[in-house]
Parts: sequence; C-alpha cells; structure tokens
Amino acid sequence: MSVADIKTYKVALVGNPNVGKSVIFGLLTGKYVTVSNYPGTTVEVSKGICRGLDGGIEVVDTPGANSLIPLSEDESVARDMLLEEYRKHIVQVADAKNLRRGLLITTQLAEMGLPVVLVLNMWDELLDRGMNIDADALQGILSIPVVKTIATHRVGTGALFHAIPIAKVPNLHIDYGRLIEEGISGIQKIVQGKTTVNERALAVMLLSGDETLEEKLRHKLAEDSLAEIQRIRGSVQSHFSNPLSYVINIKRANFVDALVDRVTLTLRKEKETHPVIRGIFFYFLVPLVSFFMGYKLTALLMYLISSRLPSDSMLSLITSLAVGGISSLWLSLYLFLREYRAKGTIAETLGRITMHPVAAFPLLIIILWIVYKIVGEFGAGRCVDFFEEKIFGSSLTPSGGFDLYVYIPFIKKTYLFTHINFQGFNYYFGLFAQRVISKDNLIFELLLNEQSGLIRVGLTYAIAIVFPIVGFFFLAFGIMEDSGYLPRLAVMVDKIFKRIGLNGKAVLPMVLGLGCDTMATLTTRILNTKKERIIATLLLALAIPCSAQLGVISSVLGRVSGTYFAIYVFVICTQLLFVGYLSSKVLPGAPSDFLMEIPPFRMPKLSNIFIKTFYRVHWFLKEAVPLFMLGTLALFVATKLGALSFLERISAPIVRNFLGLPVETAQGFILGFLRRDYGAVSIFKTLEEKGGSAGIDPKQLLVSLVVITLFIPCLANFFVMIKEQGIKNAFFMFAFILPYSLLIGGILRFILQRF
Amino acid sequence: MTEPSEEEILELIWTMEEESKKIEKDSLIKRMHLPAAEEKLNALADEDFITMEKNRVELTKKGRVNARLIIRRHRLAERLLNDVLEVKEDVMDSSACKFEHILDEEVTTSICTLLGHPVTCPHGKTIPSGECCEKANKEIRPVVMPLSELRPGDTAKVSYIVTKYHGRLDRLSSMGLLPGVQIRLHQRQPTYVIQMGETQIALDTAIARDIYVRLV
Repeated sequence: MSVADIKTYKVALVGNPNVGKSVIFGLLTGKYVTVSNYPGTTVEVSKGICRGLDGGIEVVDTPGANSLIPLSEDESVARDMLLEEYRKHIVQVADAKNLRRGLLITTQLAEMGLPVVLVLNMWDELLDRGMNIDADALQGILSIPVVKTIATHRVGTGALFHAIPIAKVPNLHIDYGRLIEEGISGIQKIVQGKTTVNERALAVMLLSGDETLEEKLRHKLAEDSLAEIQRIRGSVQSHFSNPLSYVINIKRANFVDALVDRVTLTLRKEKETHPVIRGIFFYFLVPLVSFFMGYKLTALLMYLISSRLPSDSMLSLITSLAVGGISSLWLSLYLFLREYRAKGTIAETLGRITMHPVAAFPLLIIILWIVYKIVGEFGAGRCVDFFEEKIFGSSLTPSGGFDLYVYIPFIKKTYLFTHINFQGFNYYFGLFAQRVISKDNLIFELLLNEQSGLIRVGLTYAIAIVFPIVGFFFLAFGIMEDSGYLPRLAVMVDKIFKRIGLNGKAVLPMVLGLGCDTMATLTTRILNTKKERIIATLLLALAIPCSAQLGVISSVLGRVSGTYFAIYVFVICTQLLFVGYLSSKVLPGAPSDFLMEIPPFRMPKLSNIFIKTFYRVHWFLKEAVPLFMLGTLALFVATKLGALSFLERISAPIVRNFLGLPVETAQGFILGFLRRDYGAVSIFKTLEEKGGSAGIDPKQLLVSLVVITLFIPCLANFFVMIKEQGIKNAFFMFAFILPYSLLIGGILRFILQRF
Repeated sequence: MTEPSEEEILELIWTMEEESKKIEKDSLIKRMHLPAAEEKLNALADEDFITMEKNRVELTKKGRVNARLIIRRHRLAERLLNDVLEVKEDVMDSSACKFEHILDEEVTTSICTLLGHPVTCPHGKTIPSGECCEKANKEIRPVVMPLSELRPGDTAKVSYIVTKYHGRLDRLSSMGLLPGVQIRLHQRQPTYVIQMGETQIALDTAIARDIYVRLV
C-alpha cells in the first residue's frame, strides 16, 4: 500500500445512541456538533476534517443506531453511509458499561468487512460501577485496536489518534445455524460481484427483511433477482415462526454474551455519595425544597383563582405555609424511608424522584415555573426591555440613557455607579442617515421606519427581543437535557401523548417548541413514524407558543388577571389534546411503540451547556434573522403597496363580528404571522387605547391572544414546515389552522359572553 | 389409545396444518420418514383419526382432539426444558419428542401451571390451551409471566417475547432485550421502567405485556 493510498480513506463514527459519538467527533475535528444527554440528538450526518491524521482526513459523524438494520429515518442514515462505496475506517464508539450492546454492532461491522477501532467510552462510569473490562483480551480476541476513553475529559484521545490508521476487520464469525446459513449462501450467489459491499453482510441484511435496502439494490440487480431473494427468504422463514431478523439477532446476542463473559469482570459495588453530603441532602435540602414546592404550588393555585377569593391575603399565606409544611414532611419522610436506607448515589435518587408517579408532577410544575421565571420574566421581561429600549431604541427620539447600579436584594438598597448617556443604536443611525437623506426619503423609511424599517424593526426585533429570550431558553433547555431530566419527562407524559397519537419520545420537540417552534419542527425527525411527524408538526404550529410569544402573552395577561391566564392555559391545552386526538384518529397508521433508553441522571457539565447554547443561538441567528428581515421587507412592501390595508379591510368583518374585537386589531393578527409576539403587543396596545379610561377589556384580550397563539407561529416556521413535510402537507396544515384558530376564538368569545 | 408412532403422525399432520391449510398425502408421506407409511395412514383412518379423500388428508374430530393433546405436551415440554431447566437447543428437541409420549394429563397440567400457562413454544408456535389455562387464577403467581405482572423491585429473566408486531421485536432485540437477559423492574407508573445491565429502558404497557419473564 503506497502512502498516497493511505490518505484515501475516510473515518466514520458509528455506535449506539447516547454513547458520545458527537463528543469524539468534536475531539477529532475540532468542530462542534450538538452534544446532549438525550438519545437521538444527532439526526443528520456531520462532516469535518481531522488534521491530526495524515495531514487531514474526512471524519463523518452519524446518528446513533442500535442496529444496522434501520428502524427509523435517523437510523437508516448510519446504514446508508456504511454502504457508500469508498474506503473507510470505522471508529465504533461504545458505552463501556454497556459493552454488550456495543458489541452487537461490532458483529455487524465485522460481517460488513469494515476495518474497525473499538472505542470504550465513559470508562470512568464503568469503573464507578465496580466493573472492569479486560481491553487487552478483547483486543486479542477481536484482533482490532481497542481504545479506552473518557471523551468529555479528553482522556484517551491520543491513543485513538494512533489507533485509527491501524484499524482492522474484527476477527469474528457467527454461525447462524444450517437453515439460515443456506439462505445466506443462496442470496450471496445472487448479489455476487454486483456491489462492493461485503456479500455475506448484504445477504444477512436482505434475509432480515431490510426493505429499504432492497429498493437501493433494485437498479443494480437483474430483473428477477429480487423475486429470487424474496423466495429464498420465504423458504428460510417457513422453518421459523419468529421473524428471521429476530432469530438472527438472538444468534448474535448469544455470541456476544459469550464474548462479554470472557472479558468483563464485575465486582458489583454500590457506589455511594459521601455520608456528609447525603446527610445534608436528606436532612436539609429535601425538607427545604419540598417545603418550597408545596408553598409555591399553593401560591400559584391561589393566584389563578384570585378573583374568586376575598382580598384578604392572610388566608392564602396561611394555606400556602400549611401545604408547604405538609409536603415537606411527607416527601422528606418518604424519601428517608425509601431512599436513605437504599444507599446508592444522590443522582440515582434524583433520577428516581423525577420519574416517580406522584412526586414527579409537582416537581415538573415547579421546574416549569423556574424556567418561566428565568426565561419569561428575566429574559423576556427585563432583558428585552433593556435591549429594545435602551440599546437599540428609536430612530427618531433619544432613549435617554440608563443607569449602572447594583441592587442588594435583602436590604433593598441600590448603589448607583454612573449614568450612561447612550441614546440607542437606532437613534444614532437615524442621526447619521438624516445627514445624507431626509426622514421622508424612501430609503430612510426602508431602513429606519418606525413600523417596518429593516434596521429599526427587523434587526432590532431579531437581536433585542428574540435573542435574549431564545438564549435564556436554550440555557434552561440545555440543563434539562444534560442532567437527563428530559428523557424522564418523556416517561411521565407518555400516557397523555399516546392519546394524541404520539408517544413519550415526542417530548423533545414539544418542549423545544416552547423555545422556538421552527427549531422544534426540525427535530420531529427523531420520531418513528410519518404519522407522528405530521401530528407533531401540526401541534407545534397550532398550539405550542414559542418563548418570544409566551413571554409577551404571560406578561400582558398576567398584568390583567391570574384567572384569565389560567383560562388561556386551559384553552390552549385542550386544543392541543383535542386536535391531537382527532388527528390521531383521522390520519392512517398504527400507533408506535414507546421504547426509550433512559440515560443516567448526571450533573450537567456547565461548559458543555454554554457551548451548546452558544451554537444553538448561533444557529438561530443564522437561520432566523434573514427570515425576520425578509418578513419585515414583506411588511414594508405590503404597507407601501396598500396590500396590508386591503387585507385588513377584508378581515375586518370577521374580526369585528365574529371575534367581537375592534377593527384595528386586524392589523395585529396579520403582523402576527410575520412576527409572532409583535402581534400580541400591537393588539394589547390597540385594546388599551380603545378601552380608554375604563381600562382594557380582559375578555377581548383573552380572545385575541388565543387566536394569535393558535395561528401559525411565524414565516420561518412555515418555511420549515414546507421543508420537512413537503409543500402539499404544509399548505394543508395552513388551510386547517387559519380557520380553526378563528373558530376557537369565536367560540371562546361566545362562551365568555355568557358569564 | 394410540401408539408412539401414530402419535408422531398425528403431530406431524397438526404441524403441517399450521404451516399450510391443505395437506397432500404424498408430501405427508415424504415427511414421515417411516417404513410402511401408507399402511400406518390406513390404520389411522380405520381407527377414525383421519380421513383420506383422494390425495387430501384431514384430521377427524377425534383425531384433532388427540393431536391437540400431543402437541400441547410436546410444546409444554419444550418450554419446561428451555425456560426452567435451561438445556441446550438440540437436546431440548430430542427430549421433548420423548416427553410427549409419557406425560399424563395430570403432569401436563402441573407443568402448564408451573410455567404460567405459556401461549407459545420456544420456536414461537402456539401451544394449544388446556382446561387449566382457562381456570388460571391470577392470584397465584406463576413462574413465567408477562413483564406487566411484575412488581417494582422484582428481578427476572426474559423467557420469551410474543408479539404480533415485527417492528417491535426488531426494536427490542436491537436494544439487546432478548430471551435470557436479566432485568429488574423499577416502576410501573406512569410507564414501565426496567433496568437491563447498566441500561435503563422505558417501555409502555403494550410492550410489557409481550415480554414473558421468569422470576429469579
């Protein structure tokens, strides 16, 4: 083999879900792909160059797969890449503590005749559990390089670099028994010489009934070969009543089990957290947190029914304190009895509580409340105000500058440092522009117009409003993801999601949708069936408000009344369930199984969360900002051409007569499609003006906000819907959502009028 | 009553009926691997176990009842050898063939109860149910039961998986959840969560019902 030859191979990362392929990809290439503690985060192939190897070799990261016979869209990606016809060295990443599942894939790679380096990642977690693997023995048996790594701490990467060039085809052969072997050799004869892929591997895959593979081979084989393959499969199958793929998997598993027994050593010890920390956790933290939970939950409940209560605040305070005390006692005692004796680590205890059939639900509400406090109040409230009014400001009037101060919470004192006399970027842009052109010039209007200027509105909106909200949301989401909370959430909501044609797995896109529906629509790919992907996309567009919108809506409604906020949440949730239920009945297709791996509960690594948030925000800015600009441009053109007022005129009768809202709010609804939260704000302002001294009518506000939430979130989301579901389905959903949201608004108005 | 060789023939007819509805005499004889096959069949027909019309062979009512019991004994024996005694596959096959001729009704019932009234044999074929299966009382915990019947904290070994859905079987087996694997049930609500080795897996009730386990 010449030197030039060596360079022609590529490196492909393969492995079970959630074993750290993406981390290793990052180490090899220096390129970042989203890393998380949730199986199935990587849905696309990422490519990068590894400079450390022979001056640059292409590395490909693939979505995790438990088997190379694909069961879902993301799994087929890994298989397809392995079948592509170029030389490659496989870096198979395995979770060291789950060696058995990793080796199931190694056997398949060996069959394909591919050179493999086996990476035993998360070596630290293996040792923590009192287990050990004789890597040298494994290396000897398989005759491939075996490398131990702790990828998140960069341990073992050096060895990996050295091992990649000397990857070898694993030396193992599985005998599937006479009947299957006969079938294999029969199929092998048919595919012989037709592809560069190892024929035995191809034969085993075809025998397992891999239909997508048959499609791929159709043009390569002679006409009747496929029929012949099917005949062979049929005749082998007739000897077994279990599907052949299952029989084959069992043979593989038996082979792997024997191998695992030879190389692993288990001195199963229960790992335990230090007694002092355990003491603090059980005697101090648990009572405190559970008291807070009970207290806060009651307080939230009281807030929701506040209009029905006497204004005496003592009553609600006493109730909250009492519930807090009870829940503190109950949970502490329960945990003490169940968990304190059971030993184990605190992470394990937390992992169990977050899936506990009873305790998990109040915990969920509290976590959502905390996320709301951070994202909704701090991010969407304070940060947005600051960015929008002070940093960007208006193009015509100065913002007046702001103070730099430190606020000390408990003594309620403010130390003022200095006043910053900064009038906002837009104001300075405006001043500069007015030196060249007048305020009425079309170019000035295009860029700096107060209603639809590209800089004044488009850019300001994207950076000042969406950026802080989305940033904080992704931060919170990252913590939920990396701690392992999100998959546990999937366990909890599975039963409810089953009713709406989804299963627990759909919790990832749904929760992500609360941050950004556009991004969430892209992740619907992790779902198993087409039906589920359609339902999830539809529900995201219809009933999941994104963080930008939720921030505005909750602050607007929250200011008016807690009861109305409760009605809002109730209406949106019932719509989510109702439409989901209906579409699960209407759309064809069987329900899919919920079978999900629950990763261990871990202390999230802050650096990873920050990097992840950075990349997600970066992605968001790159993808969404151009769309916001496009939307603003469309708005500008529509205003100038009079199309906007035309749309307003035709929608006015519906808005006035059916929804019972002032005609002026029609503009808000139309704007809402371009900029979701702006619609809410502009409606709020209109209603406030109309209400005059009598104040805003909460019923009108509620109706308009429900309608705007149910609308398609934004232009960007609509584009992604087209991309993922095709133009036909996307327009079909659009045609459903538009009248439906108006209908619900009308019904809500009718009901509210009765009270 | 019938002799072993006759029982073998009835068993073979039953199995062939499962594979394809119609049985041709020629193909039956070919698979019998017995000397004087034709005469044996005639003898069975004389005893009113089977009917033969032209080339077509069918079980009579009486023959069916008998064949059913033989099959039941054979497949229960397979289950017993495979799940509880854990003998190797080839030994299991030959022993089960001997078992089916010597087990009496009472012993068969005890084995069936011990195994938790299984519905399929290790090869996945249906075990005809007996009276005991219908009477099976849920109060008594059988040795082999669906995962959905386990209590939290129970440790069990997967005995077999029975499902109508091909995809489900593939998904389970590619995760490594296969017969022989030891699992521990963590919780039943809101969804089943099991521990398999160092992996925690959540699965819904429909899947949990398809996985049969034996307590350890």
